[in-house]
Order: sequence, then C-alpha cells, then structure tokens
Amino acid sequence: MAQVGGVELANVTKRFGDTLAIDRVSLIVPPGTYCCLLGPSGCGKTTLLRMIAGHEAPTSGDVRIDGQSVVDLPPAKRGTAMMFQSYALFPHLTCLDNVAFNLKVRGVAKAARRKQAHEMLERVQMDSFADRVPAELSGGQQQRIALARSLITNPKVLLLDEPLSALDEFLRLQMRGNLRQMQKEFGITFVHVTHTQMEAIAVADLVVVMDHGKIDQADSARGVFDTPRTTYVARFIGGQNVLGGKVVRVESGAALLEDARGNRFTVPAGDTAPTAGETRYLSIRRDRIEMEKLADPSAARGDAVNSVVGKVWMTEYQGSWVKVSITLPDGEEFVANIDDGTFFANPVREGDTVSARWSAAAVHSLEHRESGFDTSRVGMHA
Amino acid sequence: MAQHRKRPWTFYVLASFFTLFVLFLYGPMLAIYILSFQGPTGGLTFPMNGVSLYWFTALFEQQRTGDFAGSFTRSILLALLVMICTVTFSVMAGLAFRRRFFGSTAIFYMAVASLVMPGLFLSLGIGLIFRVIDVPTNWFASALGAQLTWTLPFGLLIMFAVLSRFSRSYEEAARDLGATNRQTLQYVVLPILFPGLIAVALFGFTLSYDEFPRTLLTVGPGNTLPLEIYAMTTTVTSPALYALGTVTTVVSFVAIILSLGSIAIIQWRRGVRFRK
Repeated sequence: MAQVGGVELANVTKRFGDTLAIDRVSLIVPPGTYCCLLGPSGCGKTTLLRMIAGHEAPTSGDVRIDGQSVVDLPPAKRGTAMMFQSYALFPHLTCLDNVAFNLKVRGVAKAARRKQAHEMLERVQMDSFADRVPAELSGGQQQRIALARSLITNPKVLLLDEPLSALDEFLRLQMRGNLRQMQKEFGITFVHVTHTQMEAIAVADLVVVMDHGKIDQADSARGVFDTPRTTYVARFIGGQNVLGGKVVRVESGAALLEDARGNRFTVPAGDTAPTAGETRYLSIRRDRIEMEKLADPSAARGDAVNSVVGKVWMTEYQGSWVKVSITLPDGEEFVANIDDGTFFANPVREGDTVSARWSAAAVHSLEHRESGFDTSRVGMHA
Repeated sequence: MAQHRKRPWTFYVLASFFTLFVLFLYGPMLAIYILSFQGPTGGLTFPMNGVSLYWFTALFEQQRTGDFAGSFTRSILLALLVMICTVTFSVMAGLAFRRRFFGSTAIFYMAVASLVMPGLFLSLGIGLIFRVIDVPTNWFASALGAQLTWTLPFGLLIMFAVLSRFSRSYEEAARDLGATNRQTLQYVVLPILFPGLIAVALFGFTLSYDEFPRTLLTVGPGNTLPLEIYAMTTTVTSPALYALGTVTTVVSFVAIILSLGSIAIIQWRRGVRFRK
C-alpha cells in the first residue's frame, strides 16, 4: 500500500485580531510520517494543527494534503481526522455509538455500522467496553476510544492535540508507544502536538520545534537533539550546555572563543566564516562532558581550552547516569551527565570545585536566537 | 481532635429560629391539606368532622365552586405552551449568545430588563395594546405573551449557566466526523444539553402555572387557575377551596418529580454513578 497523507503548509499566516499567531510558516510532512509539533504553550502549535484540520482558516497561505489544496474544504472533506485534547467523546453515547458516529451521520445502516465499529474497537482492544459510556472509562481507555472514533473515518492524516496530557506518567509512556505502533500499522501520517520534549523525541520521525508562531527547526528527532540549529532549540530540547564567547582567533576551520570570564572554547566554523570580535554560540551535550575534582580550588584557573571550572551545587542520581549541576563563577549553570560507573569510581559532592572538559569534536555551533519564553525551566533532564 | 466540644448557645438560638421558620412555612400548608379531607358536614376550620373526599368531587361541580375544571385545563395548556416557547427560544438564544455579535450586549440587557418590570403594569400595558389594535385578549394570546416576558429571561439565564459547562470541542468533534450542522445539533448538542433543557422546561412550566400579576389583565374571558382561586377566596366558603389547594400542589410536585427524576436518570446513564 502506497503511503498517503502528505501535508504541506505554504507560507501560512494566522492572525487573531491584532495578534500574530502563525507567521509565514512553511512545512512539508512526507506521507506516512509521524510528525510532532513541539513548543512551549502559546507558540502556535495547536493553531497550526487546527488549520490543517479545518477548524481554523489561515489568514493567508495554503494548506495542501497529498498535493491538493484543502483550505476551502470543511474538516470532514480533507481526509483528516482530529483527536481533541480532552478527547471530546460524546458523554451521552456508548463507546460503540461514539465510534460509529461518523458512519451514522453518513447514513450507514445500523447493523453495518455496528459491525464496523465493533471491528474498529477490536483493533484498539476495547471491544469489551462497547456498551460502556465514556465516564466509566479510565483516561487511557478513553484515548483508545477517541483513536478508534477518528480512525473509522479512514483518514489520510490523523491530527492529535496533546493526546497524552490527560494521562498519568506511567500511562503516558505506555500510550505513546501505542500511538507510534498504530501509526505504523495504519501507514498514515500522524501530526501530534506536544510541549513535552521527550515525548516528541521518542515517537516522531519529524520534530518541528516552534516558537512564537515560527518554526525554528524541522528535523529528525536525532537532528533536533544532537544538532540543534539555534540556541533556543538547544535550550528548549535540553540535554545541552549552551555557551557563548567572542571570537579571538580563526584557524583551520575552527574559531577560538573567549567568554567574559576568560574561558576559551573552540567551535567549528560552520557555514558562515567567523570574524574576529563577533559573538558565537555553541553547545555541548551534557553526556559528552568529562569531570575532574580539583584538589586545590585556588589553583583552579581554566587555562586549558574547552573546559570550565565551577562548584557542584547538586548531584542527582538518575540510575544509569548521575546529573551533576555545576555553578560557574558568573552564576550560569553547567550540567554534566556522568555515566554511573565513572561517577562512583570517583564521586564528587555538593560544594566540591570541579573542572569540566570536553573534546573539540563534541562541540556544535549554534545560531543565536532567544525566545521570549523562559526556557531555563523546561530543560529536558531538569 | 479527641476533645468533646460543647455547642455554643448561639447554636440553640439559631436552631429554634429555624424550627419556627419551618413551622411558619409548612404549618399553614399542612393545615390546608388536612382540612381538604374534611367530612361533608365539616367547615373551614378545625376540628375535622369526619374524613372524606367529598370536597374534591365538589370541585368539579361548576355551580358550587366556580369553573375549576375549565381554569385548571387552561392553566395546564398555557403552562405547556409557555414551556415549549421558553425552551425553544432560550436554547436558540443561549447558543447564539455564545458568540459576541453586533448589539449582543444591548439585546441581552433588553431581554433581562423585563425581569425587573412590575408584572401588573406589564399586564396593564399589554391589555391596553390589545385594545388599541382591537384584538380581544385571551389566555392563549395576550396572556401567553405576558408570561413569556417573565419566563424567557429566566430560561436564557439558565441556558447561560448550562452552556458555560458545555465545551465547544464536542461540536468540533462532530463536524470533524462529518456531521452537518443539523446533525450536530440533533445528535450531539441537544442530547448533551438535555438535562439543562429539562430544568428550563420545569422553570417555564411552574412560573407560568402560578403566575398571577402578568395574567390578571391579559387573560380575557376565561380565568387561569391562580385567578380563579383568587376569585374563589372571596366567594367560596367551603373546604372545596382547600381541596383545590391540595390538587394544585400535587400537580406542581408531579411536575418537579418528573423533571428531577428524568435528569437523575440521564446523569446516571451517562456514568455519573462511576464517579466519586
């Protein structure tokens, strides 16, 4: 079966009165992709989803599904189906009638639509709940009914608005695997809105990081995590230390930076050649840091390139690794995720002065772009 | 806290006051209900001279007690008409007012303002207008209109309360699943709102059933029950009047029990029984 459900947004803008919710967004989601729209609340991700669904009309720009413009079509004619945030299951109907609703309004005879709805309930392993009403179900069960109700319309694209936010932590992990499995099984496109970084990275083929009505980066999960494009993406996705400094010297494809405290870092030159005096930003993954306790804190002078010195203010045991939070002299936080074996061979305590080092190869160059949102509180492993 | 706490003296004062209030509220009604079962030779006051249903049968003999059967029928029919109009228009208006439209605030205040207008003057005014346009006043025309000025704003306010808990995503979900506007209303919006509609219907019915001032000068030749009862208090001097009080109370109670009972059944079916 050829995969269907390619979604294309072309220069889409949405205004609510004077507020610019979506600012000239263009995006191509190939057929059969699991795509996550990721961003803090208010970034426009839900508005974008609702415009694909047809519950909101773009102020300008075009929405295409499998190459065909759908902006003038009602939601049910687009080949999309939407799963609402709180599922919006009809409280007065049984699960069976909820799932059969689309068939009913299309005039399918009672016996035929019941049979089809039972089959769909079986596919989500909820057939034994057919005669229950939504209020009698748990959050996870309600989600499966909502999924069945959407999928019975044979959509090319399933749109999910924060589908896991109503569930508790344990169920969230279970259901996100379930969603991913369903997407593969049905071979259609899923567009899933979330503000949880780990959720997006775990399920998505394509992660679209949004901020203030714009797309900052649309990339594979590994791409946004390992090679964030901007300082905003690096901070929002988390798992990274973001540093900046003025270019002191440029040599053989790399620039040498110096920050306000005199720490020196190298950064690959990237696409645009660095010029002396300009400020450059870089990120290093938290798990690519080596850490060493300094016996004599007064001797600590980070002379070495690609290292910082600071005081440990918190260690957090995470099972397979230990998160060590270091305060740099200027108050900035620097985090090293140390493999548990390495950490316990040579443990550090709160208050110890440590030097953190990394190899030049672990450094990733960033474009400078900050968000108006407070990203310091949304780090992935925070 | 293991320590036994003594109730303060204010508890006893307030409790006695409340008891007096309850006695004041239900005592007289109870006396009327009991006296309506007065024996055929009994009078308007205690003691009971035997127990019988004599005065209930007397109610339906027009010559003795006034036109009870006629006014009762008119009142019930009028209350049903008012109920249907109130539910229909309150629901439509309530749904419309969810979105702000040009002049919505002004229209809302105009609709609600009729709640504070004195009913008797409203009745007088409507009676006057009918005379000016030379249409005879009647319970199913002028009185119906007069009562709607009272029940529609009430119905609208109840709908606001009902709709404040109704999520728009139900309608969006229905449309997403291919329902037309009519199907969305029929299969989703109205069934979900149904318990609220029963509440509006109950209000419409009972407000109409015992409405006096707005009906007084608009009712035309045939009285409604409250007007008939008022007339009877000056002419009837038998326990038939009490029997009438008992019958009307029973009708009101039946209406309330039917409404609340059906709301309870619907909520139970929707699984409220499973919630803590």
